[in-house]
Amino acid sequence: MSDSVTVQSAGWSGGAFLRRLTRSPVLRVIGRRLLTAIPVLWGVTLLAFLVMNALPGDAASAMLGINATPAEIRAFTIKLHLNEPLWTRYGHWLAGVVTGNLGTSLQSPQSVASDLGQRLPVTLELVIYAMIITLVVSIPVSVVCARWPKGIIDRLSLVLSMGSISIAAPSLALLAVIVFCVKWAIFPAIGYVGLSQSVAGNLHTMTLPSIILAVPLIGFYIRFLRADLLEQMQSEDYIVTARAKGVGEWQILIKHALRNSFIGVLTVIGLNLATLIGVTVIVEEVFSLPGVGFELLNAISNRNVPVIEGIVLVFGIAVVLANLATDLLYGVLDPRIRHVRSRS
Amino acid sequence: MIPKSFRRDARLKTALRLSSIVVAAATAIALAGCGSSTPSSTSNSSTPKAGGSLTVLEGDSFAGSWPGLDPATDTDGAANMSYMDSIYGELFELTAGGKTTGDLATGYSFTNGGKTVVINLRQGVKFSDGTTFNAAAVVYNWKRDLTATCTCKPVFLSTPTITATGPYQVTLSLSYVDAPFINALQGSVMNWIASPTAIQTMGETAFALKPVGAGPFIVEKDVPDSELVLKKNPNYWQKGLPYLNNLTFKSVSSDESALTAMEAGSGQAYEGMSTPQLVSAFKAKFQTTPEPSTSPYDIQLNTKIAPFNNKIAREAIYYATDAALLDKSLFGDTYPVGESFTAPAGLFYEQNVPGYITYDLAKAKALVKSIPGGLSFQLGTISVPTATEMDEAIQTEWEAAGMHVTLASWDLTGLIGAFTGGKWQSMLQTAGAYDPGTGVGVCFRFCSTSPFTGVWDTHLNNLLIAAAGTTNQATRKSLYDQAAAYIAVNAYGPFLFPIAGYNIADHGVGGPGLNSPLPVTDVNPEILWQYVYNDNNA
Repeated sequence: MSDSVTVQSAGWSGGAFLRRLTRSPVLRVIGRRLLTAIPVLWGVTLLAFLVMNALPGDAASAMLGINATPAEIRAFTIKLHLNEPLWTRYGHWLAGVVTGNLGTSLQSPQSVASDLGQRLPVTLELVIYAMIITLVVSIPVSVVCARWPKGIIDRLSLVLSMGSISIAAPSLALLAVIVFCVKWAIFPAIGYVGLSQSVAGNLHTMTLPSIILAVPLIGFYIRFLRADLLEQMQSEDYIVTARAKGVGEWQILIKHALRNSFIGVLTVIGLNLATLIGVTVIVEEVFSLPGVGFELLNAISNRNVPVIEGIVLVFGIAVVLANLATDLLYGVLDPRIRHVRSRS
Repeated sequence: MIPKSFRRDARLKTALRLSSIVVAAATAIALAGCGSSTPSSTSNSSTPKAGGSLTVLEGDSFAGSWPGLDPATDTDGAANMSYMDSIYGELFELTAGGKTTGDLATGYSFTNGGKTVVINLRQGVKFSDGTTFNAAAVVYNWKRDLTATCTCKPVFLSTPTITATGPYQVTLSLSYVDAPFINALQGSVMNWIASPTAIQTMGETAFALKPVGAGPFIVEKDVPDSELVLKKNPNYWQKGLPYLNNLTFKSVSSDESALTAMEAGSGQAYEGMSTPQLVSAFKAKFQTTPEPSTSPYDIQLNTKIAPFNNKIAREAIYYATDAALLDKSLFGDTYPVGESFTAPAGLFYEQNVPGYITYDLAKAKALVKSIPGGLSFQLGTISVPTATEMDEAIQTEWEAAGMHVTLASWDLTGLIGAFTGGKWQSMLQTAGAYDPGTGVGVCFRFCSTSPFTGVWDTHLNNLLIAAAGTTNQATRKSLYDQAAAYIAVNAYGPFLFPIAGYNIADHGVGGPGLNSPLPVTDVNPEILWQYVYNDNNA
């Protein structure tokens, strides 16, 4: 009797759990996003695989080097299964991914997962630190610009923003190294200290590379946020109402307009992330940071397909998760979106 | 008329020079195959200070990218020599003047007509995990190297028999004479002996990240392709060494990045700087030591297909190539122009070769005109700035003779593909090595068995194989001289000059190979890290 009661209880609690799951708007959003992410990630990794296979040269020659004889190259090719048809190789890799195995680097005995596990925190830290710098600088500046449009600060920020968007990241990085590392010796020119080793050392090595990443974003975000704030301040009814009630301009700007503008900023952050990841490759190369971008360049020149596929997959997941996070944050910032989701 | 005082001084100088050569030769003979390693001229300071740390930068397109530090799976081979030497030490090392000297080995001898090499090992040496360095460890490593699936696998014409003929004696027997064997150990994985216990205990994957050897340093942290942090081995067999407490290798993306990194103090040494245009910038602030090169550039001609299956076309190339002008205009007359695959820093050097065709534009034009349809072909090389710039300069010279030349360049992978495809016509490459019979030596470019050859000539094959098949150095030199003359007479490809990079070091930093030159044995020069010091922070 107790067994049948137990079974009945288990069945009932499982169904209730599923019902609660499907009713939760947040979980439904997450579920939908994850489902749509699967074909996106599949497409991205397939494209990368096809492109790598279309490049001239082969991984075996790249790995074995110029001293390799044709017989050695053939033997190594077979050992790495590089002689198998393209779809077979992709299928093997995909089957591995489903079971959590990203394969082994063609160049070293390390697994791709452990290699990326070592490097990913460096790139993630770089991106997050750059975003923090971007927001810390761009938000106050754009608020000031919106408060006094066409004032001195606004005009100056226009010039600097255009300059920061126009300058190429490699040029900026090299210039920064010469000024801040060589001339003024404020930051190291190369190298990385992990957070676990020393927080101060980590900040010392990561600040300049993060600033390089942040500079073009700062310019863009200032112009974007300023425009959005001005539009709200000049045309939104709730702003007019607030002014009519005697609320001060700064309070209107910061407590009301800025909060609504964050929705646009969130969208831009999600869209920027993919570009930012691409730029980390350059910054990691210039500052010799042991991140994923640095490894990607090395893997491409060595035709190290498992590593490239692993990195592409990780980048794809990062972009998907970032966009998911921005979607969820919309609901936090705008109650109307929460309400619409609940109703749907 | 020459003053008396000058003539007296000149005679004195000549006498001193001759006597020093005699002394050096006698010393070299006495040291051959025995004795412990001794440092060459080390430094600006009389006694290096012990202690301190050093950060060495490595270009990530070469040594700055390492796949793993297990000798049996180190696909980058000699490119990783600095790391491997630091961790494992070497059986034999190359010291000043090109002397092969025992480090973990004490000596060697050839027996059985040269087909057997007997190597005596140093006693009382321990790996950094406390296990004993002995013949069994060497045999274990060598057998492991020979069965590895890796291009770093040592190549022999027949399978060697390797045995421990004593607790500290190893014997390697072949069915043929391999005279360059000991020289070939430089930059070979067989020169680095890993702790068998550590390999078996840790497993190969973990071992490749944190290897255990008997060298002057121990691995503290290894982030592949990025940073390798080493600390002093307290049980290193040479008491009082290494001088440094910490040695860190860091990867940089380019010579320019290395310059700014050193100016910013992020590194105190840089190996293998290869951009000639940056030499003066480095020289302004740092010690800049040219690496003595042993591999001249040569223009390989594919004699299997048109147009260079025609000897007249090949001779036209010789007449149209002004190597001295190339050296002057591109490198400011820095390098010695040669006529063979040997170079001043290597063995068997001869600058002039009988029968070598030298520059004569008029003759080049006449030959080109005499070829039906003219002379039209492609010149290829590897995609590095020095090589592509040289290609462009050579193209200009050849076009002045009426040739039509298109250029092509590839990364290493593409270059291998171009060679193995067989359709290449001419290539700017390097040929030769410290010992012409080893590594990227002359056979690599001129023996019909090599996939990177442009020559299929049995007589030349026989000369080169015979030169590697005798331990008599005088006979070897004679055979290489004959090979060089044969290449010249058949116009198989003109030689230019050996280009070498530079090792850069901060003032107060030094050591053999770093601020005093050691010859390049395979692809990059050796630095004896146990003797390297940094007086700035000791």
